Amino acid sequence: MVGIMNPVSREKLASLSSSVKFAIDLGSKLELCRQLKHDLLEEDAADLSEFLPSIFDLYSDPFGPVRKFATEIIGEIGVKHLEFVPEIAPFLITVLEDATPAVARQSIACSIDLFRHTLEKIAIRGLYSSELDSDLESSWSWMLKLKEKIYSIAFQPGSGGIRLVALKFVEAVILLYTPNPNGSPEPPPNEGTTIEFNITWLRGGHPLLNVGDLSIEASQRLVLLLDQLRFPAVKSLTTSVIVVIINSLSAIAKKRPAYYGRILPVLLSLDPPSFVIKGVHVYGAHHALKNALLSCLKCTHPSAAPWRERILGALKEMKPGGLADQALNQVHKINGSVEEEKDDSLLIKEEKPLTKAYDAAGSNVGRKRSGTEDSSDLAEKDEVSGKRVKATPSVSEESTKELNRDITVSQGDISSTQSSTRKVDVDTGPVQQLVGMFGALVAQGEKAVGSLGILISNISADLLAEVVMANMCNLPPTHPHTDTDDELLEDMCIVGSDTQAKYPQSFLADVISLSSTFPPIASMLNSQQSVPNKIVKTEGEEEVDVVADPNSALAYAGMAHEDENALLATDLPVSPNIVLPGMKIDLPTPSDIHDTGNLESGIPGLDSSFRNDGLSDTQAASSLVSTDIEDASQEQATSFGGKSPLHVLPSISIDRSEELSPKAAVTDSSSMVSSTATSVVSSCPFVLPKMSAPVVNLSEDQKDDVQKLAFVRIVEAYKQIAVAGGSQVRSSLLAYLGVELPSELELQKVLREHILSDYINHEGHELTLRVLYRLFGKAEDESDFLSCTTAASAYETFLLAVAETLRDSFPPSDKSLSKLLGEAPRLPKSVLNFLGCLCSPGISEKAEESQSGDRVTQGLSTVWSLILLRPPIRDVCLKIALQSAVHHLEEVRMKAIRLVANKLYPLQSIAQQIEEFAREMLLSVVNVDATERIGAEGLISESHKDSDLEKSSNEHQSMSSISKDISADVHQSETSHSGSSPSVPEAQRCMSLYFALCTKKHSLFGQIFIIYSSASKEVKQAIHRHIPILVRTMGLSSDLLEIISDPPSGSENLLMQVLQTLTEGTVPSAELIFTIKKLFDSKLKDVEILVPVLPFLPGDEVLLLFPHLVNLPLEKFQAVLTRLLQGSAHSGPVLTPAEVLIAIHGIVPERDGIPLKKVTDACNACFEQRHIFTQQVLAKVLNQLVEQIPLPLLFMRTVLQAIGAFPALVEFIMEILSRLVSKQIWKNPKLWVGFLKCALLTKPQSFSVLLQLPPPQLENALNRTAALKAPLVAHASQQNIRNSLPRSMLAVLGLAPDTQSSSQAQTSQAHTGDTSNSEKDAAVTEKPKESSSAS
Amino acid sequence: MKFRYAMVCSSNQNRSMEAHSLLKKQGFDVSSYGTGAHVKLPGPSLREPNVYEFGTPYKHMFDDLRRKDPELYKRNGILPMLKRNLSVKLAPQRWQDNAADGCFDIVFTFEEKVFDMVLEDLHNRDQVLLKSVLVINLEVKDNHEEAAIGARIALDLCEQIEDVESWEDSIDDIMVSFENKHRRKLLYSISFY
Repeated sequence: MVGIMNPVSREKLASLSSSVKFAIDLGSKLELCRQLKHDLLEEDAADLSEFLPSIFDLYSDPFGPVRKFATEIIGEIGVKHLEFVPEIAPFLITVLEDATPAVARQSIACSIDLFRHTLEKIAIRGLYSSELDSDLESSWSWMLKLKEKIYSIAFQPGSGGIRLVALKFVEAVILLYTPNPNGSPEPPPNEGTTIEFNITWLRGGHPLLNVGDLSIEASQRLVLLLDQLRFPAVKSLTTSVIVVIINSLSAIAKKRPAYYGRILPVLLSLDPPSFVIKGVHVYGAHHALKNALLSCLKCTHPSAAPWRERILGALKEMKPGGLADQALNQVHKINGSVEEEKDDSLLIKEEKPLTKAYDAAGSNVGRKRSGTEDSSDLAEKDEVSGKRVKATPSVSEESTKELNRDITVSQGDISSTQSSTRKVDVDTGPVQQLVGMFGALVAQGEKAVGSLGILISNISADLLAEVVMANMCNLPPTHPHTDTDDELLEDMCIVGSDTQAKYPQSFLADVISLSSTFPPIASMLNSQQSVPNKIVKTEGEEEVDVVADPNSALAYAGMAHEDENALLATDLPVSPNIVLPGMKIDLPTPSDIHDTGNLESGIPGLDSSFRNDGLSDTQAASSLVSTDIEDASQEQATSFGGKSPLHVLPSISIDRSEELSPKAAVTDSSSMVSSTATSVVSSCPFVLPKMSAPVVNLSEDQKDDVQKLAFVRIVEAYKQIAVAGGSQVRSSLLAYLGVELPSELELQKVLREHILSDYINHEGHELTLRVLYRLFGKAEDESDFLSCTTAASAYETFLLAVAETLRDSFPPSDKSLSKLLGEAPRLPKSVLNFLGCLCSPGISEKAEESQSGDRVTQGLSTVWSLILLRPPIRDVCLKIALQSAVHHLEEVRMKAIRLVANKLYPLQSIAQQIEEFAREMLLSVVNVDATERIGAEGLISESHKDSDLEKSSNEHQSMSSISKDISADVHQSETSHSGSSPSVPEAQRCMSLYFALCTKKHSLFGQIFIIYSSASKEVKQAIHRHIPILVRTMGLSSDLLEIISDPPSGSENLLMQVLQTLTEGTVPSAELIFTIKKLFDSKLKDVEILVPVLPFLPGDEVLLLFPHLVNLPLEKFQAVLTRLLQGSAHSGPVLTPAEVLIAIHGIVPERDGIPLKKVTDACNACFEQRHIFTQQVLAKVLNQLVEQIPLPLLFMRTVLQAIGAFPALVEFIMEILSRLVSKQIWKNPKLWVGFLKCALLTKPQSFSVLLQLPPPQLENALNRTAALKAPLVAHASQQNIRNSLPRSMLAVLGLAPDTQSSSQAQTSQAHTGDTSNSEKDAAVTEKPKESSSAS
Repeated sequence: MKFRYAMVCSSNQNRSMEAHSLLKKQGFDVSSYGTGAHVKLPGPSLREPNVYEFGTPYKHMFDDLRRKDPELYKRNGILPMLKRNLSVKLAPQRWQDNAADGCFDIVFTFEEKVFDMVLEDLHNRDQVLLKSVLVINLEVKDNHEEAAIGARIALDLCEQIEDVESWEDSIDDIMVSFENKHRRKLLYSISFY
């Protein structure tokens, strides 16, 4: 395309580049750049040349990213149009100096591309023509300048991040300058084709480029690179530079093996310890070096070969990881080594034990046939045995592996046991040492019994278990776990007594007891001892005197029983019965083999052992195998039939019977056994030669079955011998097996059943913990997701199942559950849920209410101990407890509250959370809106609950979220059964916890005052119910005083109740009284609050308060009255009744602002209590009152009431009246009316008083109270009286001829008083009526 | 966010996805990969894992496992994990096949084996762009809890890396301060695209 540039696009480009320049923000600039780049690369050279300057211009942009982009664009233009190189290269050189590292790096990145392309172009051009145009030459010289500049960056110390790329540039140039052995040696036939450039093309000569020079330069640069890693220089490098250099060097070494010999010495001498650069972070470099060495190792070039050993050595020192191992293995493969195993290192270690194990088996086989004339016969005919015979400790790995397989198959061994022993093999150095120690001790025989015992008793059960497990690999590949003590004992005895009778019984017994204490040792010894024997034997060079060697005798015994028991245990087809004959007994005729049933029944005890093992259910599964074995044994039997001397099979027959008397003394049992054995021998009709073990190919399923049955048998056997002690070792072993064997077998279920079938007697707790720790260790240990998750899941299932069973099968008072949860390594979510259900019955539907109470206690005490013992899950446990503390059943709730308030709240660390929660619950009751809101939140949080809980296990959950969570739950249930305002029980449910906390921290009480005003009626009721108990428990504290001193408005009723409770039956403290008085004076004018403390106030203060008291509602006043008069138990009455009445009379309604009605009511209230306000009291009161000036308003009313109440007082009243007369009572119109009333009421006694009145007043009186006149006149007419009366008086009475005028005046005066008082009069007349009706 | 991040573990399920999910929420430009040959998820037992090909949608796995044993897979956290994953992206991706996804600036691995595989893969690619890539290994145990912790730590580290102008200049300092802060050993390497 020859370009006349489209004017539109030209314009567009111009505008683009200018808009890039003028765009304001970075984002739009970059976007424009992108567009520009896209458009520019479409253009061709001629037009671009126009634009280059404007693009260079872009570089002046202040934004680093824009400059970077500009550089990138220019670089790409350069690559596409190499003719611009002379312009672009200088530009790139300037960019190298850019202050922004990213831009400078971009420059280098562009440079390498440009450099490569220029080099290729020049090289190829030169190949096809002898002369190059000057343009190219100048391009090249510019590129060289650029290159030098970058070199200087690469090798200049301390140039930071840009240096990394520069170093990479050096690597790229070195690679370009050196011939690629794998590349095409010939240049492409024509210029157009693209194959990877190779400098070798230029060998033939080039006008500009000299291969030799280039190569010299490359190696110089390489030397520079290598120098960086040499000792003094390397110290000054940063890790990142070292990493990059190492990576580059290894890449060069790999791609240019010619340099292998120069690079590797440097890499190898890079001593990891010297990586302690600036004291920190050496892993990166170390790792890079490791990987570099590994990749070098893979190099197949001949020049690499000499280095291999050294690299391997260095790598071994560095302990390469998984990938490295693989690589190593690959290398081994390349090296043509025979090994095919992946983890060769493991195998190498394994080789020995396996061989040993095999040897043991082999020797076993050999031994069994010790009586046969021709042992090699078997070897010839039995291929498997033949192979084994050849096996020696130095056997090649391949054959070992095969052997391994053979053994596994033939013995029906458990593959995973092997793998686990492998692990032990590798991991446990100390354990192996211990095993060796045991071995050595056992080898000493009798002498070492004591020290062995001491050793065993001194190491921990777990370690012992490890030793046992480690020792497994020393066993013949049969299954030794079945060795119960007794079986072993008995087996040994029998064999010993049978074939080696010349040994003293005592020695045997010793050995036996020794072995029974630690069975595998014996077998280990066996295997060790049997090796030489076997070799000798199988090689057929000489006969070994078996009998002469005590150790081999022991070995023999061990082997024999191992074999048999293994078969028993793994439960090969129809169990031992068939196999045993197959193994040891050569049947006289083939038909007998088929007739195994008869054979079985012919041997006493076999049947029972079969049944006892409880394995009958597996018969079907194993039947298949049994046929195999039958076939095998048949075949062998036929081939060897009749050849061997007679051998009897004694051991199994008494197997079980022996177990039934496990406690029998060793010597006893052995003698008994031997006698039994003898009898069996004599009675047994089958006389059979020995044979080798049949080889049975088991399918995976069958293996699984076999493993499972073995395990079940172990478990069952352990049940039988539980009394024998040593349970620690056994439970360690059980746990180990249960966890290590493949999980598909559900062995853990078996184990669980075992544990739970008798938790206490089987030491269930210990065993469970062992299993849990094993599983937990697995879950934590495994880095791989699969095993990790599986183990965690198994852990959870196991723990939950045990916990549930403990709950269901033990009484609530049992502590097992608590102990288990307290000691389990981790409590997963489901277990916590389980605990939650226990503490809050009804959360899940299936909770049984029947025994909830005790269960709740159990759950709560568990929670408590968990909170104390397991800080990490404290929050979750607390949540459980809190949830229970707001449970809808009061019984549950109170239990939980007791726990929370008494036990948990005092814990500093969680008090805050508890408080928050309680407050939240409290507020939820008050604020219905809030309830609904939180309820809605609850729905959401419910749905997210799972994830929340998940997190809570490892991350600290804030307390608010906890409380919200719970309250959310709670609210949900709450809102579901109560609409808006909570009922009283509901309110109590939510508040009880808070109240309980108040008793612990009194300042919390204030909150109740605050919410009180806004609480609904039901809530208030609930609060009031709580208060007496609460306040009584709290007592008066400074906190409470403070609350009382400033109660929020609206809480008066509450305050009253609190005060009442506080003062009930005790003397309130001075502070309280002071506080209340202060409150009354300052804030709360309601005198009611003073009522509770009234009895404790000084009398004069009370008197001051009296108007307020009178103003109270009547019933309250009555109460006050009672209080005042009774006083407190300690201080006696505050006021005497007389004082009370006087105080009442002291009230002036107008002055004190108290309705008269209240005052009269108060009086009435007093009069109602006649037993208090007695005649005497009244007399006293009246006596005092009458002296008061002015007279109390109600005085006459009281007088009237007094007469009404106590007529006997009339004499006294007369006296009062006469005193009133002397006080000129008539001057007080109100009282005057009362006076007259009284006089009327008390006639005729009052006549004498009336007659004491001055005549005008008398007249007035008579006028007012007409009813008085006649009786008074009659009274006065009595001679003696009449005589004593003055004339004026008589005139008033109309008893004397009077002077009208004076009487007229009197009348008129009286009249005026009368009219003015007419209203009051009416009132007064009313009152007596009232009072009489009241009384 | 100036860098492109890749989170890599073996199956692109747990650790890398936890980090992917978290970083994505924080607005990072992030992808995630696995280096294994297959995607393996726990099954009813160790011997019977659920094996899927890379590229199988998480949704498919989710439905598959829910059909098989909802109780088990819910309890061991697999279903919740898949649910999270399917909200992050469609399907697990394999690191070795990600050439088309462009260059990353920072690659996080969560296991040394994976780290080595990523590096090896990068070294085996044609390193022509000279674009540096930082590969960091943060050892994280492959379970749900640790993955969550690991993701938070990775996020923290990413934020520190974002904060500096160019990691090439300050990576050692970042690493040192990080190790001091979290008490975790980091491994890093630098490779090039």
